Amino acid sequence: MRKVLRLARREYVASTRTKGFLIGLLIAPFFMSGGMIAMKLTEGHVNTRDRRVAVIDRSGRLMPSIAADAASRNQREVHDAETGEKVDAAYLFEEVVPLADRKAQQLALSQRVRDGELAAFLDIGADVMAPDLQAGGGRITYHARGAALDELRRWIENVVNPHLRRLRLIAAGVEPAAVDALLHWLPVQAMGLAEMDADSGLVRAARRDHPAEAVAVPIAASLLMILMMLMGAIPLLNSVMEEKTQRIAEVLLGSISPFEFMMGKVVGGLAVSLTASAFYVLVGVVAVVYLGWADRVPFHLLPWFAAFMVLAILMVGGGLAALGAACSDAKDAQNLGLPAVFPILVPMFLLGPVMREPNSALVTWASLVPPFSPMLMMMRLGHPEGIPAWQAWVALALAAALAIVTIFAGGRVFRIAILTQGKEPRLSDLARWALRG
Amino acid sequence: MNALELTAVTKTFGAKVAVDDLSLSVPAGSVYGFIGPNGSGKTTALRLLMRILYPDRGAIRVLGCDVSEASLERIGYLPEERGLYRKMKLWDVLTFLGELRAGHGVDVQVQAWLERFGLAERAMARVEELSKGMSQKAQFIAAVVPRPELLVLDEPFSGLDPVNADVLREAVMELSAAGTTIVFSTHDMSAAEQLCDYVFMIQQGRKVLDGTLESIKSEYGADTIRVTGRLEEAALAGLPGVAHVAGRGHLKELRLAAGAQPQDLLARVVALGPVERLEIARPSLHDIFVRLAQPTGEPTCA
Repeated sequence: MRKVLRLARREYVASTRTKGFLIGLLIAPFFMSGGMIAMKLTEGHVNTRDRRVAVIDRSGRLMPSIAADAASRNQREVHDAETGEKVDAAYLFEEVVPLADRKAQQLALSQRVRDGELAAFLDIGADVMAPDLQAGGGRITYHARGAALDELRRWIENVVNPHLRRLRLIAAGVEPAAVDALLHWLPVQAMGLAEMDADSGLVRAARRDHPAEAVAVPIAASLLMILMMLMGAIPLLNSVMEEKTQRIAEVLLGSISPFEFMMGKVVGGLAVSLTASAFYVLVGVVAVVYLGWADRVPFHLLPWFAAFMVLAILMVGGGLAALGAACSDAKDAQNLGLPAVFPILVPMFLLGPVMREPNSALVTWASLVPPFSPMLMMMRLGHPEGIPAWQAWVALALAAALAIVTIFAGGRVFRIAILTQGKEPRLSDLARWALRG
Repeated sequence: MNALELTAVTKTFGAKVAVDDLSLSVPAGSVYGFIGPNGSGKTTALRLLMRILYPDRGAIRVLGCDVSEASLERIGYLPEERGLYRKMKLWDVLTFLGELRAGHGVDVQVQAWLERFGLAERAMARVEELSKGMSQKAQFIAAVVPRPELLVLDEPFSGLDPVNADVLREAVMELSAAGTTIVFSTHDMSAAEQLCDYVFMIQQGRKVLDGTLESIKSEYGADTIRVTGRLEEAALAGLPGVAHVAGRGHLKELRLAAGAQPQDLLARVVALGPVERLEIARPSLHDIFVRLAQPTGEPTCA
């Protein structure tokens, strides 16, 4: 154990006493949440070129409302109120008289779109006021390049439908003054559960459950787990490969056994991960306390996070150290790079289902299976819906079992592979070494 | 007492038998040279001693213990393929490797060896900044700190210039004088002759030679005539009673054919031309190595 710790200490110092580690520690969260930050940064960067849309209103009822709403919107949103600078595109609608030959008219308007004269054209069916639902009537079509993702199409949809409902109600004899009350939309508010205060015996009102809060903890936990794997486990593949190719491995093997060698690398990686996670958790706790969100943070998940992270590093790190020993050059390591990130990729694919239904059969079973369990179980544990406690314990036990098997089998592969030169690692060889030693 | 004992050790890699039924005893405090052609099994044998490889069959005892229980703390190892962490400072890498084996501070020993090898001023330099000779000396220091009871060196002098080779040779002799058992492999026969108490030769995994230098040479007898002079190798090879001629510039070694009389051959050699020096000698280790590694069909022993 002394030798394992001495080697781990060298690994730890070599990894953490570098500018790269400090820079990585600071910028990694930005990279990890890069998508969200990029969206926020690019939020205001829109194309301000005006968008002209031709409207064939076969119903003869909607064009005035669309034009009025567009004018209102343009006045409100196109120019910055303070600076007068143009910050968004104006939506301009021109009415086109419907022709009998619908196809020919659509072809002509399509050509105007292709020529850049129009951004799109809208074809409103004649029967939208009283559509024959059985016959699938009441069609409104929007024609443009990339119509499916066009923000303007969604704007039109949101404008047209309230007008249609209003017009239909009035046509049905409802007083126009009563229409707004009838159409008033009520959102269903997401709330937590009521609780009784143990000291006072008073019932505490349920707290409003914000969607961002619901996903924040699971996503933060999984991102932190990914970060720790990237910092502590994934680099072991290249690190061991370099020690082999730079002929350091056999020098070390003169003093320590191959198993101690591998464990020293893994424990070193684990120490790096623990340092980084301690830093992030500390910064996170200080931040939430400062922002007054301390009561919303599930501190009881920290021990689970620590336990699953340790097991994840042992499982993945042990396997990767063994694979690194089997590599003779950077190309070998590159080929093994994809399997190396599987324990991260698979849970990320399941992020959506976990968020929607953390207790579905698929998600439950997947979260029990190592090496995916550390990330998936942390996502589920952080979900407001909660999960049965036994599932977390079972996942922990299975992950611990696989960690032991990985370290044991990895040690066998490592012992043989570390001295093998010039031979591309084959799956059959790795399996044979792992099983027979 | 033997520092090292191998009994009927066999190691195979797939279909290739790297070490075949090898038995060997290395007396404590001796210098034991492993010689043999490339790929003969020297490095595999040394790796077996170091527990880096496990034998398929046979027993290995190191410093009185079974190899699986032998303490690596008591053994120093300089592998043939050796490297050091290039980004680490020389001092850090040597103390790290020393502590890895010793489990305690080795500063005093590292400092002493650095001073001895003239590397003290470069102690804080990164390994990548050192010359090749300096790196090789540093690797030797890594093998001998802390001072081992058994020192295993795989090709310790390869790639060294004569000055650095002498420095290392002196260090090996000093360690030997202090009681360290030394096992080393080499292709340098002169180094083996200079340093070794015992020589062991392995070929295709099998032991073909084992004993003291004296006993080995005696076994071959005085079947060699050394000639120094401007004589044609072909002319010498054509003389009756000459089985083989090894030419090294002006110095030629003639091996006598079976039954040939050295005195008769001396007269024939002198008759060929001017001779500066002529002697009847026992074969050099180099000659014995060549005979065993490339047998000519002639009998090898007198």
